[in-house]
Amino acid sequence: MNKQAGNKYRRRDFLGRVAKAGISVAAAGTVSYLLYDGTGPKPGTEPAELVTLPYFSLPHRAGQTISIVEGANRVKNVNKAIELLGGIERFVKPGETVVIKPNVAFASPPILGATTRPELVAEVVRLCLTRGGAKKVIVTDNPINDPASCFTLSGIAKAVSQAGAKVVLPRARSFKHTTLAGGKLIKNWPIFYGPLKNVDKLIGIAPIKNHHRAGASMAMKNWYGLLGGRRNIFHQDINTIITELAMMVKPTLVILDGTEVMMTNGPTGGSVSDLRRADTLIASCDQVAADSFACTLLDLKPSDLPYLAKAEKAGVGTTNYESLKPIIAAVS
Amino acid sequence: MSSMPGRAKRLESAVSVCLLAVLFLIGLGVLIKQSRVDMSRFGMEAAAVPESEILADLGPLTPAGFLTLSKTEIYDAANLYEKINGKAALYLDSGFKKLLTQRFANKNDSNLWMELFVYDMDNIANAFSAYSTQKRPDVETLSFAYPRFHYRTGNGLYFVHGKYYVEEVGSSKSTKLLRAMVEIAQKISSALAPDDDTRTFEAKMTLLPKENIVPGSIKLYLASTFGYEGLTDTFTAKYRCGDEAVTAFLSRRANAKEARTIAESYYQFLIDCGGVEKTVPLAGKLPGRVIDVYGTTEIVFAIGPFVAGVHEAESYECAIEVASLLLRKLVDESTAVIK
Repeated sequence: MNKQAGNKYRRRDFLGRVAKAGISVAAAGTVSYLLYDGTGPKPGTEPAELVTLPYFSLPHRAGQTISIVEGANRVKNVNKAIELLGGIERFVKPGETVVIKPNVAFASPPILGATTRPELVAEVVRLCLTRGGAKKVIVTDNPINDPASCFTLSGIAKAVSQAGAKVVLPRARSFKHTTLAGGKLIKNWPIFYGPLKNVDKLIGIAPIKNHHRAGASMAMKNWYGLLGGRRNIFHQDINTIITELAMMVKPTLVILDGTEVMMTNGPTGGSVSDLRRADTLIASCDQVAADSFACTLLDLKPSDLPYLAKAEKAGVGTTNYESLKPIIAAVS
Repeated sequence: MSSMPGRAKRLESAVSVCLLAVLFLIGLGVLIKQSRVDMSRFGMEAAAVPESEILADLGPLTPAGFLTLSKTEIYDAANLYEKINGKAALYLDSGFKKLLTQRFANKNDSNLWMELFVYDMDNIANAFSAYSTQKRPDVETLSFAYPRFHYRTGNGLYFVHGKYYVEEVGSSKSTKLLRAMVEIAQKISSALAPDDDTRTFEAKMTLLPKENIVPGSIKLYLASTFGYEGLTDTFTAKYRCGDEAVTAFLSRRANAKEARTIAESYYQFLIDCGGVEKTVPLAGKLPGRVIDVYGTTEIVFAIGPFVAGVHEAESYECAIEVASLLLRKLVDESTAVIK
């Protein structure tokens, strides 16, 4: 009797619970169905604000577009190279704000040559502030590795701070979306816009490196550090993205350090054995011409790097650097 | 039973829960004990220390006199580019599984620091390929038994141990840093005993003749050797011939038929690239083809399951000499009919 009563109770209890569970599942399913978005976010959706990088280039000056200086001391070389193009006063006017974009991609020591040498960046900072009369110099990059570690371990943060520049590390709010007119890849893509907003001049300073994917990393590839988002996807079409970066960024001046060139295992390197002394520094208002000459220090020809021809075709500059009559000098 | 007082019911539940907890703890204990079983106690092969305990965290590898400068960072195939950018493809194409990195700084001089990169390449062939294809020229070796494949440069130590390719990169050229790097290398190699995979792999290398070989010149290309897609899993090595260093290559295929097919298609590739077959009689009756490619000599032949030859030799005579050397070695190894 007791057992039967117990079973009766359990059956009722069971049915009651099944009913409640069924109602719960049905309710959850209905809510999920109503909230389900089968299409997902629309990639083509334009954000509220699209930005365009300012135009930082200067008017062409015949015979003073590119200089090539040979010498073992990169600090002396950069002084000479800029002097040959008309001096820093041509590029920086009193009271202006200048952004310097070195290659600080990796948290690696200066000795490896994977990042721009700190003494070179610091010297350009000093030139801008003292001779150019710049009001403010900002040194910035959006590195591959942790930004603070990259700026610290590369020695750049300390060197440029001592020279009077402000280091700006990337923050989420610094990125704005842009679309490159005529671009295939840079469409509604976040770029490191914050430090470049409301500034007057932009100078790129990069080492000359072998690059496993691109063949070489020089002035044009240096602008990769202005991209945000999951930019690694662009490695699938590396020649196009480098071309589009050069189309997007119109710098005042680019400087390429070929004092020691990373011949192998780039872009990270990892050993001093990857470097070869070339004792050469290039300053140029034409980034395509600068890269076209610089690649010869890597034992390459401009035709070995498809992005150079693509950039030339897009009107960014010329691969025929000799046509610009480079000013060549040596510094002892 | 239904009239069991509430106190008794609670007691019954408590006892049941306790029994279940005890059973769970026993099960857990068995599981833990079993995972640490030392087979050497039973006269069987000593168990290797679980990899998870050695290389899940690089902190324990901190050398004496050094401090950790960062935490262990772990990268997988999806985010490797965040560490090494454009070089990620080199590893991803070679079976990369994960990368662990950590920085260590000298206690007394923070400017003396190094970064340890441990690449898990899934097997020793992949690891050796990553190691050898990046190997710098003019490097030194140290007096290690293991890791056997290693070299040092002015600021770094690089080696393969089992499935791991390891780079230790210093901030400067320093004997203190080098000592620390050696300590780490020895810690890793002593913690991970050479396995069967390593021994099998090392045996494959012995197919390359030792005579006149340039020490440390062996490389392994997993794909697209010399730009030809069909030539995969290929060892290359340099051989001295007078003042010249000649590159020989060797790839073991599944069978003799496949070897012949690949040798023929590689020959065709060279011809398509502008090569011209030489009709000069071969010294030593090489069972292969000799091709002149823009003034350099290429030789390719198949013997048994092997595709082998010489790549871009400056002189024809040296190309023949090295190819003959390789052929003699492979004849000993192969019972297959020479084409």
